[in-house]
Amino acid sequence: MTETFYDVMRRQGITRRSFLKFCSLTAAAMGLSPSYAGTIAKAMETKPRIPVLWLHGLECTCCSESFIRSAHPLAKDVILSMISLDYDDTIMAAAGHEAEAIVAETIEKYDGKFILACEGNPGLDEEKTGGMSCIIAGKPYTEQLRHAAKHAMAIISWGSCASWGCVQAAKPNPTGATPIHKVPDLGNAPIIKVPGCPPIAEVMTAVITYILTFERLPSLDRQGRPKMFYSQRIHDKCYRRPHFDAGQFVEKWDDEAARKGYCLYKMGCKGPTTYNACSTIRWNGGLSFPIQAGHPCIGCSEDGFWDKGSFYDRLSGIHQFGIESNADDVGIGAAAVIGGAIAAHTAVSALKRTQQKGDQES
Amino acid sequence: MSVIHTPNGYTLDNSGTRHVVDPVTRIEGHMRAEVNINSENIITNAVSSGTVWRGLEVILKGRDPRDAWAFVQRICGVCTGTHALTSVRSVEDALGINIPENANSIRNIMQLSLQIHDHLVHFYHLHALDWVNPINALKADPRATSALQQKVSPHHPKSSPGYFRDVQNRLKKFVESGQLGPFKNGYWTNPAYLLPPEADLMAVTHYLEALDFQKEIMKTRTIFGGKDTHPNWTVGGVPCPINVDGTGGVGGLNMVNLNQVHEIIKQTKTFVDNVYIPDIMAIAQYYKGWLYGGGLSSQNVLAYGDIPDKANDYSAANLMMPRGAIINGKLEEVHEVDLRDPEQVQEFVPHSWYKYPEGTKGLHPWDGITDPDFDVSTAKGTKHNIEELDESASYSWIKAPRWRGHAMEVGPLARYVVGYAQGHEYWSEQINQTLKTLDIPLNALFSTLGRTAARALESQWAADQQLYFFDKLMTNIKNGDSATHGGEMWDPKDWPSEAKGVGFTEAPRGALAHWIKIKDTKIENYQCVVPTTWNGSPRDEAGNIGAFEASMMNTKVEVPNEPVEILRNLHSFDPCLACSTH
Amino acid sequence: MTTMATKPHSEPSVYVYEAPLRLWHWMNALAIVVLCISGYFIGSPLPTMPGEASDHYLMGYIRFAHFAAAYIFAIGFLGRIYWAIVGNEHARQIFLPPILSSEFWDGVLHEAKWYLFLAKEPRKYTGHNPMAVIFMHLMMVWGTVFMILTGFALYGEGTGYDSWQYTMFSSWIIPLFGQSQDVHTFHHLVMWVIIVFAIMHIYVAIREDIMSRQSLISTMISGWRMFKDGRDVDDLH
Ligand code: HEM
Ligand code: HEM
Ligand code: NFV
Ligand code: SF4
Ligand code: SF4
Ligand code: F3S
Ligand SMILES: [Mg+2]
Repeated sequence: MTETFYDVMRRQGITRRSFLKFCSLTAAAMGLSPSYAGTIAKAMETKPRIPVLWLHGLECTCCSESFIRSAHPLAKDVILSMISLDYDDTIMAAAGHEAEAIVAETIEKYDGKFILACEGNPGLDEEKTGGMSCIIAGKPYTEQLRHAAKHAMAIISWGSCASWGCVQAAKPNPTGATPIHKVPDLGNAPIIKVPGCPPIAEVMTAVITYILTFERLPSLDRQGRPKMFYSQRIHDKCYRRPHFDAGQFVEKWDDEAARKGYCLYKMGCKGPTTYNACSTIRWNGGLSFPIQAGHPCIGCSEDGFWDKGSFYDRLSGIHQFGIESNADDVGIGAAAVIGGAIAAHTAVSALKRTQQKGDQES
Repeated sequence: MSVIHTPNGYTLDNSGTRHVVDPVTRIEGHMRAEVNINSENIITNAVSSGTVWRGLEVILKGRDPRDAWAFVQRICGVCTGTHALTSVRSVEDALGINIPENANSIRNIMQLSLQIHDHLVHFYHLHALDWVNPINALKADPRATSALQQKVSPHHPKSSPGYFRDVQNRLKKFVESGQLGPFKNGYWTNPAYLLPPEADLMAVTHYLEALDFQKEIMKTRTIFGGKDTHPNWTVGGVPCPINVDGTGGVGGLNMVNLNQVHEIIKQTKTFVDNVYIPDIMAIAQYYKGWLYGGGLSSQNVLAYGDIPDKANDYSAANLMMPRGAIINGKLEEVHEVDLRDPEQVQEFVPHSWYKYPEGTKGLHPWDGITDPDFDVSTAKGTKHNIEELDESASYSWIKAPRWRGHAMEVGPLARYVVGYAQGHEYWSEQINQTLKTLDIPLNALFSTLGRTAARALESQWAADQQLYFFDKLMTNIKNGDSATHGGEMWDPKDWPSEAKGVGFTEAPRGALAHWIKIKDTKIENYQCVVPTTWNGSPRDEAGNIGAFEASMMNTKVEVPNEPVEILRNLHSFDPCLACSTH
Repeated sequence: MTTMATKPHSEPSVYVYEAPLRLWHWMNALAIVVLCISGYFIGSPLPTMPGEASDHYLMGYIRFAHFAAAYIFAIGFLGRIYWAIVGNEHARQIFLPPILSSEFWDGVLHEAKWYLFLAKEPRKYTGHNPMAVIFMHLMMVWGTVFMILTGFALYGEGTGYDSWQYTMFSSWIIPLFGQSQDVHTFHHLVMWVIIVFAIMHIYVAIREDIMSRQSLISTMISGWRMFKDGRDVDDLH
């Protein structure tokens, strides 16, 4: 277990040249200056592979799917050369008892030294689903999660499921789906949220690479997300921003403005309220991102983005005032009521006043 | 101990030793299998249980139908997009919305990318380790491996002895490090593995090549849908506008993007032709005597059809993937399938963790109900520690869909059987060619291996159809039509106060449909009946077992404690549990 | 009732609103008008501008107007708080409604009756009438605080992670609401609270100017309250 990434990569036939190239691409993917490539290379030459348990709860596996789309570094290289992916039920060869034995073995051998990667979340509802909306080896997933979490060095909450609850936690949350950081009795391991539905592949691999390279967790914002990727909004770095500032908007699908790539704000774009790296890192090796392909951002890395009204409305619905209303509906309604009341009040006042005058005169 | 004869022809005997596999791994989601194995190592009773549920159908109620695609897309990130496409079709059906021709071509290209990607990742990363032994690959002679590679696929450039030696060295050092990662605790000494070391090395090499390549396939969807996984869709068309020579052309889909798409499709086709298909054929050669796992495939298969040639025409004649049902193995009679007919598709819940107000009656999905009711009081163990399920009671989060009362198999094999029965030209040709190459009879198709092969053949077909739709898209643009969205009925103010519709696709794993009811512009009811709901279904009230269970029946296992054969049979369906229960 | 000496019963006029307060009132009113109009168009922008993006900056100007007015609004409010401390007693009124005084509530009740045409005559006040105090306190003071907090929280998102606006406002307000979109929604909603207040306020100001026993609109211009009869005032000032 004292092998380093570099040893492993070299032993696996990777040349020093391509190793260094890998390091500089990794630096670029993390938004670091090229000079960091050397630091990364040095770290990789001197540090051992770290065990990872990748657990799946209530989820759709698309975080895993996103992960394997990573171009820099390749998912293959992460799995073979950077981490030791000891448990991941989506790809592991073992099944049943042999699979579960690995969790126990890793905890025993690497207590406090492995990373727990969580995809999805546990359903805590007892009433209708008996706490058994996600069962692993006959037991609630919550148990597996708690057990592993208490022994982990750090927890990565992959995606909006683990970070916020995501689609299964959308109203009325039938399973009591609960994001990782809100699960009671989970121990004290630090939690890094990497939200997004799914998160961008290169962001996922960069978070891992960062931890391994710098031997520390990335600095997080108040909500527990790595600042390097989640401290700015889509809107802050959207290439359509000049159209926003100019007041040039797509008004409907496939109109002239859409074809020219104007701002999607009026189509309901949540870029102004969404913290993610899509407009800079982009997706699938930097190829595109939702807005570039003509669809408004739906805010998929934000807490509770499912329950903010239609994705195509700029203004969110306010649930407290019935399903359909947004702030303008409510406000215009209230103003109209007040306006009507005032009109009536004016009429009565005028009447009273003529009466009063009459009284005084008589 | 009891012996039960099911209406669909299986004899269930639970007298042998019970073996539990939980979790079933290398699938999407969470699943449990239990089997009884008799003294001759034959499986005599099989139980499959979906062990995860999220309640999307409940969550969708009261929402904007135009948003539904995004919710249901999150049913699954593996078959990502097929639910979204099904959803927008259901809304378009309900509201009578037509989409432009270009939108149809783009949607088809995206859907076909998914088919290929899903099949490829399934074969190499979820299924291969049931047939391929990576540890055995260490014994291979790289020269012989190179010769084998050049024989099975003369056009694949990565075939030198040096290349295979490098990979073998990598693998060797990986294994020697003692950290086996995903290969840990595999059943590598099990005699069920039959490949010679050279074939193992070739396959492991392609496991890695495919892992690198798969991400390219989905780039078509990133260009059209902005990201993958979970690209964007829209009711009424596609979100990406086309602008090939207007001002601001770079703002829409332009010539650069179209070239990229073309390039990706060509690369995809090359990979499928040069790697995937030859590997399947090579591996099948060694396993063609292992013909277990056919299950329902030789009896009852169902396909809804997909890939409309012309836009907005969902009649069987216009669908490039066929529609139809075959009952009791009568290939000569393909039944019409009508998703609106309340008598055809129905879901039952007597063995599922749900309740219906009226007990055991089946419900057509327009009137479907999803009301969870977890109960394992008759199982062995406790509520939070199930030791053995009780298959005579409720035992799964999956409902039991039936077609005119029959348990059906869906998926690539089902599609190919229906297509073959209907004389689908391309597919029949592929099937005949495969039977000839492997020197096996038609019956051999109805097996685990047949399912796995059908998937590869379908990928090959799909890559060709991508080219077809790419050409169609370009021709259409050339003729001056660059519309991608009609704008029709986008505004809910134009909608009728009540509407209902059904959308369907052929998802990678089989026939998929969503039924929607809209009331006062909101979703009143939304029901999904998903491929893995069909295949993974528990028993119904008549006692019919589902396709997973049927596939495990009567299989011989080499080492009862090592579930290789169970995994092999189940994996051949590419189970997706997030889908099955949603 | 306190001592008679403090009761300006027969004077024809009293100096109520000192100049800074009046200045603030009108600046604030103007800022709010600008904020409401620009805010509305931030939420629902005007139709698309033709031509090149570099030729236009419409949304930019609208947002600039919003932010400029926002600063005036916020700084004015700070000034108003300062004046509440150093100014005359009327300057404190809307900040500290005497909610523990039963007399005050009796005044509110009477004012309500007056507006419902149940009382024959309104009472006479040097400062605001009790009902006005309640409304101004709830809708203006707290509404202003809310708009400043949420407004700067949104503003901090634009100025960025390391800005003082982000640190002082966004960093805790955004998570408090859940996410940025919710802050927008409530910032937007409270605009309507303020609009509703303004409509009522202006109506009442005009109506009372005509129907009550004291001057109002001219008071906010000159600072002097004129009384239309010589009877006792009903407040404690
Ligand atoms: C045509 C427009 C307006 C007129 C004629 C007007 C008139 C007045 C008058 C007469 C008063 C004194 C009330 C009294 O003596 O009891 C007053 C106070 C006040 N007005 Fe206005 N107003 C106008 C617009 C606004 C607007 C738009 C706002 C803000 C939404 C506003 C906020 C206030 C506040 C907060 C006070 C209390 C001042 C204090 O005691 O600090 N006014 N206004
Ligand atoms: C009476 C006071 C105010 C009113 C009526 C008002 C109104 C509005 C409205 C209606 C919006 C659009 C919200 C949406 O739907 O997204 C908005 C946005 C905004 N307001 Fe205010 N606002 C007020 C005060 C302030 C203050 C004090 C600030 C502080 C700087 C502020 C900063 C902002 C910002 C940053 C935005 C978002 C701009 C954008 O998204 O481009 N507002 N305001
Ligand atoms: N079953 C299933 Fe799916 C597929 N293919 C969906 O419809 O996998 Ni996730
Ligand atoms: S966060 Fe989104 S993408 Fe990831 S598993 Fe959850 S639903 Fe799927
Ligand atoms: S498209 Fe969205 S993120 Fe981009 S500028 Fe417009 S509103 Fe902002
Ligand atoms: S929808 Fe999600 S993928 Fe990015 S652009 Fe918006 S955060
Ligand atoms: Mg269903």
